[in-house]
Amino acid sequence: MNELKVLGEFYFSQLANKPIWDAKGKRIGKLLDMAMRWDSVSPHVTGIRYAKGVSSLIPFEWVASWKKDGLRLNTNFDPQKTYPLHDDETFIGKWLLDKQIIDLEGSKLVRVNDLSLSWLSHEDHQYLVLVAVDIGVRGLFRRLGVEFLLSRINNNFVGCQYIKPLENRTSALQLTREKEQLRQLHPADIADLFETMDYKQRANLLDALDSQQAVDALAEMELEAQVEMIIQMDESRASDILEEMPPDEAADILSELSVEKSEELLSLMESDDAEDVRELMQYEEDTAGSLMTTEYIGLPFWLTAEQAINELRRLAPEAETIYYLYVVDEQETLEGVLSLRELIIASPETPLKDLMHKKIVKISPYEDHEKVADIIHKYGLLAVPVVNDQDQVLGIITVDDVLELFMPERPRGEILSSLVARRHQPKGGHNE
Amino acid sequence: MNLKVRFALFFSIMGPGIVTAFADNDAGGIATYAAAGAKYGYSLIFTMLISTVLLAIAQEISARTGAVTGRGLSDLIRENYGVKWTFFAMSVLLIANLGTTASEFSGIATSFEIFGVSKYLSVPIMAFIIWWLVIKTDYGKLEKILLILCITFFSYVISGIIVHPPWPHILVESITPSFSGTPAFLMMAIGVIGTTITPWGQFYVQASVVDKGITAKDYRYTRWDVLIGTFFTGFIAFFIIVATAATLYVNHIPIETAKDVALALKPLAGNYASFLFGFGLLGASMLAAFVLPLSTSYAVCEAFGFEHGISKSYKEAPAFFSLYTVLIVFGAVIVLWPNLSLYNIMLTTQVVNGILLPPILIFMVLIASKKSIMGEYVNSGLFNVIAWAFTFILVLLTLLLLLSTLFPEYITHSLGFLSL
Repeated sequence: MNELKVLGEFYFSQLANKPIWDAKGKRIGKLLDMAMRWDSVSPHVTGIRYAKGVSSLIPFEWVASWKKDGLRLNTNFDPQKTYPLHDDETFIGKWLLDKQIIDLEGSKLVRVNDLSLSWLSHEDHQYLVLVAVDIGVRGLFRRLGVEFLLSRINNNFVGCQYIKPLENRTSALQLTREKEQLRQLHPADIADLFETMDYKQRANLLDALDSQQAVDALAEMELEAQVEMIIQMDESRASDILEEMPPDEAADILSELSVEKSEELLSLMESDDAEDVRELMQYEEDTAGSLMTTEYIGLPFWLTAEQAINELRRLAPEAETIYYLYVVDEQETLEGVLSLRELIIASPETPLKDLMHKKIVKISPYEDHEKVADIIHKYGLLAVPVVNDQDQVLGIITVDDVLELFMPERPRGEILSSLVARRHQPKGGHNE
Repeated sequence: MNLKVRFALFFSIMGPGIVTAFADNDAGGIATYAAAGAKYGYSLIFTMLISTVLLAIAQEISARTGAVTGRGLSDLIRENYGVKWTFFAMSVLLIANLGTTASEFSGIATSFEIFGVSKYLSVPIMAFIIWWLVIKTDYGKLEKILLILCITFFSYVISGIIVHPPWPHILVESITPSFSGTPAFLMMAIGVIGTTITPWGQFYVQASVVDKGITAKDYRYTRWDVLIGTFFTGFIAFFIIVATAATLYVNHIPIETAKDVALALKPLAGNYASFLFGFGLLGASMLAAFVLPLSTSYAVCEAFGFEHGISKSYKEAPAFFSLYTVLIVFGAVIVLWPNLSLYNIMLTTQVVNGILLPPILIFMVLIASKKSIMGEYVNSGLFNVIAWAFTFILVLLTLLLLLSTLFPEYITHSLGFLSL
């Protein structure tokens, strides 16, 4: 008696609006919607809404048989014993049917045409479990009552472990599970999803992402879309995200906004981060200053190679590139530069000032883009430091910042679909 | 916020309402207004003014719904009323828009005929160019060029002024409702309403508000955009009626082809009248011909959850591209059908639009009065009364048209009795 037995399989559309009879054969109402709880592994039905204007539900346990022509109860119907919707339950039809959801397998927005349910029995207990959502044309035709026209076409299901409804529910457990699932999505996919969503859906999805993911996804978007996203977010969330972003990107976004709006966001940001961004915003659009980021690695010259590696561990997560390390004195004056390779192969006790190159290629923040590209190209650099008149480091410009300027705009869709295709070869896996 | 900032904000947000307004005065619109003026003189101006007010209401509802929900109309119908109603609404939209697309192509054909190019040459070529440009290029820039072409319609305003129409008489006519129960008059009245307020216009204005990323916060600027756009629709329509009434109706010149409408521009442009008219008609028809098939495909695919978007490939979004192509091809084929009067296509499709409008309006008003969707921006009670009254009047007019076509004697008689 321990095994799972399938007693029946239905679509929501086949059960909806079907009559409900009690044990005496009296018609009590019809199936309007089903309450569902999604606490354990599978979402299962817990109650039935049976009449308009009546908020209480028929408990699932009362149902003796689920048939396509109607439901039969195992007791006599007593309105006193029905129960109201619990906090951890949701109306499945209202929540999912006809709504847009994220298909986590295909990483795209799809519309739910029907729901596939299974009636199971396990150890004397019966369950009606939501197995998958139907997003195919056949489901659409089924809803219209003309499924027979498409009986040769396969159904297009998304298993419910792969769906992310856009309307969040309050259950905290559910939210952590969703966060777990969303972590499988590539930031570029999330960016693409964002671009197809309206502003309310965006806000919902944003709430379900952790802040690093939100920042990564935003970084994948075009400037125009980034600006739109930031404008639509509430101010505190926007300033949090701008703090986490590389300062040069944050500066790009903020300089597209009106003065009032960008001042407001800057004032909400932590003062250190805001200061960096402000500094970057002061440079004209076509200067080196506008390209640079302040997140470089600067190490004091008295460190030994070993100390420097330890320091690097601490600084690396924030920095845009770690392949070039800049050696500075107390006034942040640029003294020299060394590569990551040189640091790693040096013996641990060597001080940095003996390792570094003193002849440094550097650039002023007021040079134009052309000049920056020239220098990076000429010396074959991954990054070039930007210094002021006193040789103090202001920031660095990396080769990808420059590359972006000279590449024609990428057709986003194609790049993304090839990404998706690559990611899907090992099914459902996640490769960076 | 100071005044300058407010203006800057307004200009960044304006667009959806104004583009829709100009696309509203498309080939069918001009044909209908001109026919109204030429056939019934000033007596339909009243209907026109009413329908402009109603246009303002309808566009306001759509734009507000778009800004508050961030959703398109078809999306909202699907989520709130399910598959069957969506299927119904989308069928209505498809029929109406297929007709309107055909009417835009008749406009294109007519304007090329003015320049001496046969429709069998111009229509297939323009259909292909439109199809190709939308898929391969940035449509936003094209839109601006087409809008500039539409400015030529202001020539009707000048023309309407320099013919010295009897202004006091027009003023009286504008505020006195006149009515006749003949099928022809009813058809004209429904046509005038149907061309001013179109099913596609409602979908389009909402979609472009959503597309611009306008949120409830910025909505008050969009309201101005919509109202200004509506004003221009009505303003130009008014002068087309006045200009044609003062020239064609007075001299008993019937309109048989759209080219005759150009005669109303003679006082202004003399012999160049038909060229002026041709350019304007081309601009308006092209603008709408670009917008219509595309926005229809978007709406339908959005409602049914098919992949859509012009940045996708045919393989990714087959339904979207097929629908888009079919609409253009069918629209063009209808126009090329031998022995079909282009002018009649334009007029008939406006009447079809008028008849199909009520179901869409009902969905719009229902959605905009749901507190669960609209929150604090829900329709006010008074607003709802007006919106429902208007929908009711339109349904009534449609029924009257139906009855008067079936039993012409009876309706004319009973309405004549009523007005006594």
